[in-house]
Amino acid sequence: MTAVIETTGLTKTYGAVRALDGLSLSIPRGGVYGVLGPNGAGKSTLFRILLGLIRPTAGEVRVLGQHAGDPAVMRRIGSMIETPRFPPYMTARQVLQWLALAHGAKDAAIDAWLDRVGLTEASNRRVRGFSVGMLQRLGVAAALMTKPDLVILDEPTSGMDPPGIQEMRALIRSLADDDGVTIILASHQLLEVQRVCDRVAIFNRGTLAAEGKVSELTAAGERLRLTATPLAKIISVLGDKATLDGDAVLAAIPRAEGPALLRALIEQGVDIDEARWVGADLESVFMAETGPARTDAQVREALHAG
Amino acid sequence: MLADAIRSESWRLLKNRTVLSWSLIFVPLVWLAVLIGGAVIDAKVDHMADQLPPQLASARAALDLGDTLLSAAGQLANPALLAFLLIGAATVFSCDYRWETWRLITARNSRPNLIMGKVGAVKLMTLAGLVLFLAAALLGAAIKGVVLDRDLVFRFGGEETRTFGLLFLLAFVRVVQFLMLSLLTAVLTRSQLAALFVPLVVGVTQAFLVTLAPILGWSAADWQTLLLFPGAAYEALKTVILGGVPTAVLQDGVVLRAVASLALWSLVPFSLALWWFSRQDLSKE
Repeated sequence: MTAVIETTGLTKTYGAVRALDGLSLSIPRGGVYGVLGPNGAGKSTLFRILLGLIRPTAGEVRVLGQHAGDPAVMRRIGSMIETPRFPPYMTARQVLQWLALAHGAKDAAIDAWLDRVGLTEASNRRVRGFSVGMLQRLGVAAALMTKPDLVILDEPTSGMDPPGIQEMRALIRSLADDDGVTIILASHQLLEVQRVCDRVAIFNRGTLAAEGKVSELTAAGERLRLTATPLAKIISVLGDKATLDGDAVLAAIPRAEGPALLRALIEQGVDIDEARWVGADLESVFMAETGPARTDAQVREALHAG
Repeated sequence: MLADAIRSESWRLLKNRTVLSWSLIFVPLVWLAVLIGGAVIDAKVDHMADQLPPQLASARAALDLGDTLLSAAGQLANPALLAFLLIGAATVFSCDYRWETWRLITARNSRPNLIMGKVGAVKLMTLAGLVLFLAAALLGAAIKGVVLDRDLVFRFGGEETRTFGLLFLLAFVRVVQFLMLSLLTAVLTRSQLAALFVPLVVGVTQAFLVTLAPILGWSAADWQTLLLFPGAAYEALKTVILGGVPTAVLQDGVVLRAVASLALWSLVPFSLALWWFSRQDLSKE
């Protein structure tokens, strides 16, 4: 598995703040890779280093096998960092024409990309009147039109309406699956990330808290929720793998052991009303890795204090 | 790669019609209006000239566009043209900070190429500005000929061509030298207003201080004067190109000093801007 991004001990400090703290990460070629983390976790800092916008304080970083910021490598990367901005007097088509010229891409299929991101009708409108969602779409087209090998997207669906988000998800998947582009994206919309990404890295305070395939990470947090009688019998079978959840029992077992457990319980005379896997979402993994969310009372207290 | 940067910057500038109008069209238009106004006044004077002896009146008969061209070439690097070309230059140099668009183009070219692309676009704009100014001067002279009912002639031999070429080149170098201050200011401050006003303030200050040079015992051809005041270097070189009596009083080596001054005032701001930009954090736009 070749890596498109490799960092070793990557550190970036802003004064006393360590935005990245010795990050070592390897992102494989192909597929969609999600970078998650709360605000200030270091996601945007990593992206900016990868794109040569800033230099790391310490550590190594290689992008497509070369040093980050190498012009030859940069030309193989498409990117959209935060909400993109464009010269306001230009139309959407002119923006893409300008960027194609800047890239030296004479064969950029500008009209095709405008169509692909749903901006054909607005192609001759000046971008100063664009909504955030339209700017995002144009930013994605700008990132992709030069057929890059690697695409870095920071919050690509921010400001988009639900149909737009769905279209963007389909576009990202098709780029990865059909065009063989490696896509790295950061998003706070964990459900979207779970749907579109193959692997994710979860950052917390500039370090790597967790990394792996989405299916593996979520599987680790899965529980089999059993509503049955008598509960005591289930608890006695599961031992310390069981926890009570209201009138149900949560069984912390691998998915592969589920059928055997159910057979065993039925053989022991347990009446099973319902059995389903729960907690297998990225949000619970994310929360577990980055620390608990504040309680309502804590939020109220912070608001009053602020 | 550098060609891509120049092409894209020039293309982007071409789409910015407001800036182009102010930078390229405004001064030639005003100059043309001034020339036409002058022609009207001359028409009145000509009316009075009818009462002059015939040999004086006939001396005013023909209007030489070659003279007009040479005269206009000598006035190319005028403060008005410098100031209005500065609007376009400041926009080109600072627009990516202002619109936060560095992140769109840094991945498409090397940083030195990006800066040199901007400088290339500004040089093309400067060339266009100078040519339009000359065109306005020629058009104004032609209109004057029509208003005054004079014959138009174009006497432009080898000597005139050489003088014109050198004056044009000198004006181009002087304008670009001035605009490099805008580049350095834009890169250091990330501000369009600063890129516009700092060179103006520096230029006005230099123009004021050069008048004080004699008080310090510095002549117009001294090293100190020429190195501190590129405007003085421009004037000295213009004098040398035009020749005649003023040239005879210039000291030996003035050309070298003046060229060195203009080169330093161009290359130092450019090199500093390039060096600073190469290590600049562009995430803070």
